Amino acid sequence: MTINIENEKKGAMTTTNVESSRRNFIFGSVAAAGLTVAPGMMLYQTANARSQSEKATSKVRWGMLVDTTKDVDWNKCVDACNNEHGLGNEHKSRDDQKTQYIRVVDVKNKGTGYSISLPVMCQHCEKPPCVDVCPTGASMKRPDGIVLVDRHRCIGCRYCMMACPYKARSFVHEVLSDQKENTPRGKGCVESCNMCVNRIDNGQEPACVEASDGAIIFGDLNNPESPISKILAKHGGKQIRADLKLNPGVHYQGI
Amino acid sequence: MWLHLNFNFGFNSSFVSKSLKKLPLTVAGLAFIAGINTVNANQDGLGPKITIPESSGESCILPSAEMRRQHPDLLKHDRIQTLREGVRAKADGGKLDGSLKQCVNCHAIKDASSKFVRIDNDQHFCVSCHKYAAVSIDCFQCHRDIPEGDGEFHALTNHKGINYSNIVPGTSSLTIKDMANIAPEVISDDN
Repeated sequence: MTINIENEKKGAMTTTNVESSRRNFIFGSVAAAGLTVAPGMMLYQTANARSQSEKATSKVRWGMLVDTTKDVDWNKCVDACNNEHGLGNEHKSRDDQKTQYIRVVDVKNKGTGYSISLPVMCQHCEKPPCVDVCPTGASMKRPDGIVLVDRHRCIGCRYCMMACPYKARSFVHEVLSDQKENTPRGKGCVESCNMCVNRIDNGQEPACVEASDGAIIFGDLNNPESPISKILAKHGGKQIRADLKLNPGVHYQGI
Repeated sequence: MWLHLNFNFGFNSSFVSKSLKKLPLTVAGLAFIAGINTVNANQDGLGPKITIPESSGESCILPSAEMRRQHPDLLKHDRIQTLREGVRAKADGGKLDGSLKQCVNCHAIKDASSKFVRIDNDQHFCVSCHKYAAVSIDCFQCHRDIPEGDGEFHALTNHKGINYSNIVPGTSSLTIKDMANIAPEVISDDN
């Protein structure tokens, strides 16, 4: 199926009006797979959990699986993200300059009229182009697969923003105050979704996962016994622009 | 001795070019400034003073004297460990984790209206010393400058509200001489 990106909106977007019954009809099998996972299951695999005094290792690769067939309002995830990281405290920047970690993208097949919306955040590539191009080593990938910006080294050249095929990064254009203590952010640095690295190190799920009512599953892609790996093995998932061979850690169902 | 030397210089320079004529004045000026500084540094009680908060005796992860000297290196070490390696251990195995967040939580200062003072206020724990030492820090361009919520005070602050004052007796103060003794060594662990 050819999917054309029709429009994309920041923050406050409207979800597409596909009735849930029709969704469930079309994606019956996938929706059922989601249900078996959702109720009461501990989605965060603690098998490979490390203590806080250990370094992150490549034994673990954190990833997310987004089920776009579920009838959830992705804005709830965006709001949870904004709240977690204290986004939205720019007052002088234009709307298109303001930081967003998650974009909600509407896609529509012009031929059939079929449309979906999906949250697009940093895809946490295995081979991230943003890391390749960074002149200072600020854009980095942790051994456990989380791609993030070391603001201590970021000089704000925005080369990584150019390199990212997912348009996942933002640049802070103004002096900020009242940041969250767990997410330092400031003028002149590029930033993006860091998979709530502070929460992960603390044994919690990312904020968007928590707010998604089970539509986003978080877990260890390296562990074949983790729920996310099991679902991917059984039902598959798609990576956006998989043709680029960056092997993103964020997978989607229903696109 | 300096003035005597300069005077001789000036006298001799009347025989040489115009550009050389300016030299003795410059040298004399520098010597004059250096002389004043030396006088102040050698006498306690003269020159600007810095006040530091009253301590209740509980120490941070290192004794206060070492913290004054080493805190930049500790923070730099910690930021590399935390951000790049994912180590978020508590430094003393207990309640202090050595993060800037923890520093701010413990060392936050409240003003008369019981609100935390922000980084643009001279009473802010970091600002008070750094402004005195004319060392500009940019930590708080990104990091939060006050605790979220009520903070996690421990006894490093005396919890009495304002605890900085140049006039209230009983607050300890540092002179230029003291500051010279606690100037941090510059050690870089950039990699």
